[in-house]
Amino acid sequence: MIDSKVLIIDDEIEFASTLCQRLKLRGVAAIDVHSGTEGLVSLVKMNPGIVILDLKMPDMSGLDVLAKIKEHDPTIEVIMLTGHGSAGSGVEARDKGAFDYIMKPVDLVELVDKMKMADEKRSKA
Amino acid sequence: MSRQSGWLTKILPFPSDDIESPKVRDIGYRRFTRGLCVLLTVLVLVPLIIISVLSHSQYHQLLKDEELDQLVLNLEEAQSTIEAFVGELKSVVKFIGSSDCYKKLLNSEDLEDILVRLQKEYPGFVDIQVIDSNAKQKAYAGPYELRSHNYTNQLWYQEVLQRGVSISHVFSGFRDIPHFVIAVSRNTTEGQAKCVLRATINASTLQEFIDTINSGYADDLFLVDAMQVAQTKPEKYGVLGGGCVLHDKYTPVDPDSSLHVSDNDKILVDSPGIVVFQRKFEGQRINHAVADLLDTPWKLVLVKEQYLYANSWMLFKIRLITIFLTCTIVAVFVIVEISHALTTHIRESDKARQQLYSEAEHSNKLASIGRFAAGVAHEINNPLAIINQKAGLVQDLMEFSEDFSNKDIMEEAVGGIQGSVERCKTITHRLLGFARQTDVVTEEIDVNEILREVVEFLAKEATYNQIKIEFNLCNDVRKIWSTRGPLQQVFLNIINNAIDAIGNGGTILLSSKQINEETLQVTIVDDGPGMPKDVLAHIFEPFFTTKETGKGTGLGLSITYGLVKKLGGSIKVKSKPGKGTIFRIALPVKHSESERFNSKIQGD
Repeated sequence: MIDSKVLIIDDEIEFASTLCQRLKLRGVAAIDVHSGTEGLVSLVKMNPGIVILDLKMPDMSGLDVLAKIKEHDPTIEVIMLTGHGSAGSGVEARDKGAFDYIMKPVDLVELVDKMKMADEKRSKA
Repeated sequence: MSRQSGWLTKILPFPSDDIESPKVRDIGYRRFTRGLCVLLTVLVLVPLIIISVLSHSQYHQLLKDEELDQLVLNLEEAQSTIEAFVGELKSVVKFIGSSDCYKKLLNSEDLEDILVRLQKEYPGFVDIQVIDSNAKQKAYAGPYELRSHNYTNQLWYQEVLQRGVSISHVFSGFRDIPHFVIAVSRNTTEGQAKCVLRATINASTLQEFIDTINSGYADDLFLVDAMQVAQTKPEKYGVLGGGCVLHDKYTPVDPDSSLHVSDNDKILVDSPGIVVFQRKFEGQRINHAVADLLDTPWKLVLVKEQYLYANSWMLFKIRLITIFLTCTIVAVFVIVEISHALTTHIRESDKARQQLYSEAEHSNKLASIGRFAAGVAHEINNPLAIINQKAGLVQDLMEFSEDFSNKDIMEEAVGGIQGSVERCKTITHRLLGFARQTDVVTEEIDVNEILREVVEFLAKEATYNQIKIEFNLCNDVRKIWSTRGPLQQVFLNIINNAIDAIGNGGTILLSSKQINEETLQVTIVDDGPGMPKDVLAHIFEPFFTTKETGKGTGLGLSITYGLVKKLGGSIKVKSKPGKGTIFRIALPVKHSESERFNSKIQGD
């Protein structure tokens, strides 16, 4: 089971809400927000353990949000969502402290696996 | 582009640089070559012709003047020499007539004695005769008997009485030996009556003298009398005692000789008493000069072939023309060669420029297409992700809910949606993978996978042309550390060429194998028409193409070669006309160059 609370930040509302619903169905405490700024606000409010973060958003780039998150609390694990062509950016995000990246369209099983690994890492720390 | 100034364009139309139809450009180049040839030829030949003609005419005139001067000089020399000689003979006769007393002259023995002494000095003297004032012979010394003549009415006798001296024509008389006479008058001792001393001189004396003074300059030199009768023997232009052939026989030639020849023939020279004619004789052009001899009845004739019409001048002219023609031919040849070389050079640089231009255009187009494809893939990717999640949600919900009618059909339908999303995903991924070549990252790459991807892209074209693409991939090949984009391009170029080469119906075989721990080899074999050796030698050269104009840039294989080198690999090609072509590409498993290559591309 995943104990950490999960925050989903993605400007694509339909995508974020559906993903959130599906995670909830699997017993994960998940919340979805739809912009970088909103995400940073929720970060303080709900204090998540894992953040699922879209790389491309209109107000702030995923990498900027990542930097802010890591600044706020370095123990929060971030999983980046990237388009296929931006695999390079995923690698870059990983270098900048993201736990991992996953390409859209997301295979839920794969995502849950990565979340579990992130959760384990947190609980060990 | 201003490659030319205005006035030059009118004479020499430069080939157009615009990319027009090749035919129009060809005409332009040909016109340029022709214009250049004509312009250079005119520039070279006009001065050459002017100089040749000018110098020829100048030289001709110079020679003509020089020749005339020479002729007159020679004639004058001969004239004065002969005058001096005749004067000397005259003086001798005068001397005899004056120094001895009249009585002594009348004495035949004394006269004989004088003749003998005279003949010692001048062997030409034949006889001496003394004639009294009654025109009767008084005394005679010599071999002939001339006793009973009365000379009163003879012209020479009258002349002698009048002028004191007379020189006769050459004549044979009744002696049958050509001779001439010098006669002088003197006063007798008895008052005013005059007697005449008459000496006969053999004509051969005159002949010998003429022979000695003709130094060889003249073609003919002889004496004529007032009636144009030759007094000495002409070599060619007449006979001794006959008329000079250059004048009508026995037409008297006065000091004004022009009466008998046309004015055009006569050339006036500065020296008095000399007339020069230029005329044709037996097909030859000759200078015919006549000089009066003072105090004699003779005229001196000098004939000389005109140098300007002689063979040597003709030879000179032929040589001049030969040199001129040779120069012209060489000049024209060189000009034509230079013009062609220049045009070829311009044509080639134009071609190279156009190819570069179209190549730039091509890669620009490719880049645009790539960006566009990437954009489309991205746009599609987002809704795809939503569809994926929604379907996933429906699946989840169905999993957690109890059975309801048609649940299995709905599960199947949602599964179908998921499957289709998966297919869309591979398509967008492939599109992005190809399009985003600027996103080069050095990564671990499965060469087999790259080959399959490339073939997927070309599959449609191959199918249209009934070309089968077969794989013989070894699954044990190691993953190589390389860059995806350039690697794809390498295979794409070669397979694309193979498809173009085969044309219609054929097979391309792709195989991979590990040849040693560090190296992996990809072989691409086609059964197309192959290439002859001379083509094979150039295929990696930039701008070398055998494809039709506009179809190939001639850059594909040269780029491929460069890329393989940068990836640290090597490329080899074998081909046999009629059999097909084999490309072997060796790639290193690990290559430090690819790191640098990667960073360089990103730097660009």
